Amino acid sequence: MAETTTIEGVTEAINRAAVEARSHGEPAWLAQRRAHAWSVYESLPLPTTRREEWRYTDLRRVLDLDALHLGSTEAGPDDPSSYPERLRATMNEDHEAAGHLVFIDGAVVHTDIRDDLASLGVILMPLRQAVREHPELVESHLATEAVPPEEGKFAALNAALWSDGVFLYVPRGVRLDNPVRVTRWISEAGAAFFSRTLIVAESTSQVSYVDEILSDDFDTQTLASAAVEVITRDGAQVQYVSLQRMGRGAFYQSKQRTLAGRDSTLDTLNVTLGASVSRVDLNARLMGPGANSDMLGLYFGDDDQHFDHNTSQDHEAPSARSDLLYKGALDGHARAAFRGIIRVHEGAQQTDAYQTNRNLLLSEHARADSLPNLEIEADDVKCSHGSTVGQLDDDHLFYLMSRGLSREKAERLVVVGFLGEVMSRLPLGGVVEKVTRAIAEKLRA
Amino acid sequence: MSTSPILKIENLHAKVADEDLEILKGVDLSLHEGEIHAIMGPNGSGKSTLAKVLAGHPGYEVTGGTATFKGEEILELEPDERSQAGIFLAFQYPVEIPGVSIANFLRTALQAHLEEGEELDLFDFQDLLLDRMKLLDMDPVFAERPVNDGFSGGEKKRNEILQMACLKPALALMDETDSGLDIDALKIVANGVNKLREENPEMTVLLITHYQRLLNYIKPDHVHVMVDGRIVRSGGPEVALQLEEEGYKDWTETEPAGA
Amino acid sequence: MPQNEVIQGLELDEYKYGFVDEEKHVFRTQPGLSEEVVRQISAQKEEPEWMLEFRLKALQIYESKPMPTWGGDLSKLEETLDEIYFYVRPQDRMERSWDDVPENIKNTFERLGIPEAEQKVLAGVGAQYESEMVYHSLKEEWESKGVIFDSIEDGLKNHPELFRKYFGTVIPSADNKFSAMNSAVWSGGSFVYIPKGVELETPLQAYFRVNQERMGQFERTLIIADEGSRAHYIEGCTAPTYSTESFHSGVIEIVVNRGAHFRYTTIQNWSNNMYNLVTQRALVHEHATMEWLDGNLGSKLTMKYPSCYLVGEGAHGNILSIAYAGDGQHQDTGGKVIHAAPRTTSSIVSKSISKGTGRSSYRGLCKVYDGAVGAKSNVECDALLINETSRTDTYPYIEIEEKRSNIGHEATVSKVGDEQLFYLMSRGMSEEEAMALIVRGFIEPIAKQLPLEYAVELNRLIELEMEGSVG
Repeated sequence: MAETTTIEGVTEAINRAAVEARSHGEPAWLAQRRAHAWSVYESLPLPTTRREEWRYTDLRRVLDLDALHLGSTEAGPDDPSSYPERLRATMNEDHEAAGHLVFIDGAVVHTDIRDDLASLGVILMPLRQAVREHPELVESHLATEAVPPEEGKFAALNAALWSDGVFLYVPRGVRLDNPVRVTRWISEAGAAFFSRTLIVAESTSQVSYVDEILSDDFDTQTLASAAVEVITRDGAQVQYVSLQRMGRGAFYQSKQRTLAGRDSTLDTLNVTLGASVSRVDLNARLMGPGANSDMLGLYFGDDDQHFDHNTSQDHEAPSARSDLLYKGALDGHARAAFRGIIRVHEGAQQTDAYQTNRNLLLSEHARADSLPNLEIEADDVKCSHGSTVGQLDDDHLFYLMSRGLSREKAERLVVVGFLGEVMSRLPLGGVVEKVTRAIAEKLRA
Repeated sequence: MSTSPILKIENLHAKVADEDLEILKGVDLSLHEGEIHAIMGPNGSGKSTLAKVLAGHPGYEVTGGTATFKGEEILELEPDERSQAGIFLAFQYPVEIPGVSIANFLRTALQAHLEEGEELDLFDFQDLLLDRMKLLDMDPVFAERPVNDGFSGGEKKRNEILQMACLKPALALMDETDSGLDIDALKIVANGVNKLREENPEMTVLLITHYQRLLNYIKPDHVHVMVDGRIVRSGGPEVALQLEEEGYKDWTETEPAGA
Repeated sequence: MPQNEVIQGLELDEYKYGFVDEEKHVFRTQPGLSEEVVRQISAQKEEPEWMLEFRLKALQIYESKPMPTWGGDLSKLEETLDEIYFYVRPQDRMERSWDDVPENIKNTFERLGIPEAEQKVLAGVGAQYESEMVYHSLKEEWESKGVIFDSIEDGLKNHPELFRKYFGTVIPSADNKFSAMNSAVWSGGSFVYIPKGVELETPLQAYFRVNQERMGQFERTLIIADEGSRAHYIEGCTAPTYSTESFHSGVIEIVVNRGAHFRYTTIQNWSNNMYNLVTQRALVHEHATMEWLDGNLGSKLTMKYPSCYLVGEGAHGNILSIAYAGDGQHQDTGGKVIHAAPRTTSSIVSKSISKGTGRSSYRGLCKVYDGAVGAKSNVECDALLINETSRTDTYPYIEIEEKRSNIGHEATVSKVGDEQLFYLMSRGMSEEEAMALIVRGFIEPIAKQLPLEYAVELNRLIELEMEGSVG
């Protein structure tokens, strides 16, 4: 086959030498993991649309790996006044935070954490620093249970080439009242960036985390690759929010996995508004009895944006609950695919699992594909899924217009209301306003 | 009044199946034919559990004591055998059976109540069903709807009474029949029960209720108060009125075993 | 419990149609599939040259396509393909009267109740035994109105132009591996033509029986419902239970012309060693309606997704699917609706029951092409699980390119709840009776669409299958 002669995805910039360069100065275990991940990467073909989970995104058409170089990992000075305007603006919108991390391109330029939290043992720091300062914690969690390289081509690539990331550790019983806020700004066109997030919430702790990535438009394709691992121990409560507001020309790829322990709550929200192509893989594993996950998603595409969300809900323990709601609106020539699967494993009795995907087509040329799957191997379960694709309801529009709103205003109101349902289920300070404003901006454009 | 009770419960203990949670902690109660008893008690006192245990609900396990119906021990019987013996439980939350019409359901149930080899005549059944619906002022169209599927709370409870009217039990256990009903629906349901009693004064009724208001429409001969899995007081209708004034507060506080 | 005895008296859990007839045939090909086998089949049928070429080309396509890797497990079938008889001729010619059908074959169909049903409720009957139609008959009333109901072979001989115009156009050989296989070795099946405006009041029925061990049945049916006509076609299938695998792979092509209304009903009750891989598709023109009523109760593995290609404005497609997967069975069924014209509408309702180690999978596609303005589709899948070991899957593909359309999909999975059982038992029913009542209620929305005698039969089959599911 083709893979044996030329290895798919190995380029002038993305190759074993680059992995070795990244390993420079790192502890042996990490260097070994990178090397292993690279071997896995080489052994896997670039997925084609024949693979079910890539049915709606043809990587060969939408991603040109050969043209990418590795993005800069040199940190500039930590000077907020020199931040790009949009970065500063979004940070100004944020409410209080337990701590911040700011990335510009591949490097962390700023870290802070509230003193009282640090003294309780909360760790928030760049992942590279954590490798040095908390090797035992990082080694036991990073790219092991949550996103091992064997998960797929992108997971392997990220595990081999990540330049930096975030490590958040919340000790047993510690509850953070304000979210941790991480903001990434990407500016270097034509580059590829690989970051990782590792969140470990020990039993009965609580934390929420807002991960925002943004950029201006790019002339040449720019890749932002993320791997996110969220681990909650028994009774912990975690909310993970990802806001993607990159410019056109960006290829955004995020591989997320959440592991929910006994009686824990692990909620996620993925907001996809930007980039030319966005691919998000979210796998929620409900591993302890009584675990609970709300999985929320919201997307709004226009022009020729292409969004692909691929989710799975793995019920591995009994009496767990997961409830997924992904809603999207599509304008212009935008196209969105949603593929989700609920897997109720043998023995996972008393499972409650739900999956809903709703799409609103706003233009003649928009397209939505939806594939909500169920695989059920236990009998005492409550599972349902639903999918709809529809247009704006004329009755709704008429009602609003008869009250004096213009068609555009009425449409905007209906779209905001349609998407707003998602955010109302995870009302995190600052996020709702930020997303609502971003949607309104897109609607005006 | 006959000397031997139709239902006699002695030192009944029961727990939630699969859990070590004891709910009934020694219930004693005797009902004689034709009497109306009411059991009142705060949430979690075990009064609904008592009704379910008597009907044989699989979610509970009897751990001690006896219950005899017409002199026969019933606690070992399957739910259908208890039904065939003449016990009827009107559910607090009637279950939805999509795709099965009330008529079809009742026909199957009535057939199950017949002796072996006996065949329920279709025309007799139609006559009986129409007669029962007329008695309860129900529209015959109702019988064509699937059992409880998409019913309002009031409709579900009326369906329970219709089943009771068709099956003509000797003992009716009414588990919080008043819950979730507005006053009009409550009156309709209570009216139905009273009509059945007029028709068959031998029918014995055990009302399980949280509120006194149901007892304004169905007059009990005896009222019992249940707290923490035991009957803590028994008396005439005056007990209910007293409870209405004082609430359950005193009971729950003075009862040493109270949660 | 006296109720139990009622059920025990029914002698259940036995496949009623599993009897074996003495094996007699006048010709059969060597086991396995080869060019030689294909040439022999064509020669046996004295076919025109174009059909032989069609078959040989299909064989090439078949050989070039990989086995599907999705759906059910086909590895066992793949291993035995070389041992399977692709063509078995049971008698020399097809008969028009049951009296002329060889005794042993006639007995088989009598045991299945076919001649009796023909008398009572059918407009016409076709019966296929192994690879050939052994009987075909149409009531005179319909014949005089120009209705054609014949074996597919006679369709080719007697109506060559009509045949060639449509044959292989709805389902090209290259559609999938098994349609290619069928196109190479097809034998038997019906050719049906309903003339303009003719409305058949009673159904046509085809009955398929496989008796020979390790054989493959590859019937091919072509149906043309001309403008404004109306008809209902029913197929039933059974086979004896052997320890080795048998194979049934039909191709059903239907053209529903403007304003016509056609319904195709399958009650498949193959024995549980049968691989049943069928391609069924209808091309639905302006304001025409196609209805598939697909009941899958038997077989080891069924992969079958009746399709409606809605190519004319206002066309309507309706798929009702019911699947029952008992121990060791896998029903991978569903439906496809393709909206390729404005104001087309469709609905898929699927109900499945999994019992014991049975697995039922719904696989469906709803596609709306750009320009299919005002398309509406609604898909509903409900799965009922009886035991802890039962499994169900749902794979609905929804692909929408047109804004002005409304598409919905809903699915639920439920088990027969303890509360439901207790409720019914507290009204005096035994556990089995309660279970059967719940299951009957579950399939009721589909059963009520069947002609009465089939609804009764379906209910009876389901009830038999439910026996022993408790405890």
